[in-house]
Amino acid sequence: METPRVDYVAILETLIRHGVDFIIVGGVCAVLHGAPLATFDLDIVHSREPDNLTRLSAALEELGALYRVPGRHELKPGPSHLASEGHQLLMTRFGPLDLLGTIGKGRDYNQLLQETVEMQVGPALKVRVSTLESLIKTKEETGQEKDRAALPLLRRVLEERAKA
Amino acid sequence: MAQRDSSRTTEASPRLPGSEGTHSDDGVDLTLIRWMLSLTPAERLQVLQQSVKSLLRLRDGDAKS
Repeated sequence: METPRVDYVAILETLIRHGVDFIIVGGVCAVLHGAPLATFDLDIVHSREPDNLTRLSAALEELGALYRVPGRHELKPGPSHLASEGHQLLMTRFGPLDLLGTIGKGRDYNQLLQETVEMQVGPALKVRVSTLESLIKTKEETGQEKDRAALPLLRRVLEERAKA
Repeated sequence: MAQRDSSRTTEASPRLPGSEGTHSDDGVDLTLIRWMLSLTPAERLQVLQQSVKSLLRLRDGDAKS
């Protein structure tokens, strides 16, 4: 069995090249802040402004993005899906990509923007990432068991970072 | 005297001697956090990417011996 290719950098490079406005959240965000964990998908909250959705659609086309939800494997995310508050769980040729219209208690791109930092994650690759404090707040808001389970680790990262 | 104190500490805690400061009270490995914090964000992303690749290769049984 051929091991699927997972390349977060390639996904991010494609989104940036197409000028997509987005914020990295979730597990990859936690890792970028220093949390030692493994995650298999890249979670982003995208701007749902019409121009950005056009750019996002072009990036998804290049990434070969299709739904990874059972029964929707052959479906591409359409404009109405991308404009919604919901979560689009996709598989690209560089691995899983989750597009989140809103997170936590309905916070969208514009609301999250003030709680972000820019990070250099490659020689010519700068991305916008949710702050660790904001990530913790989101996980507290959702209240799901998997999110609550991540909180001790994230809080310790915050503490250790303050000491460093 | 120091030995007795050390022994009591060991009995009172499941931690191994010398592990003080390596784990938080809720069991989080602080050494891994400190290692990750010593890296740049780009290096952290590479660590994640390599970890996921390794895990997938192990799952699929194509790890090189």
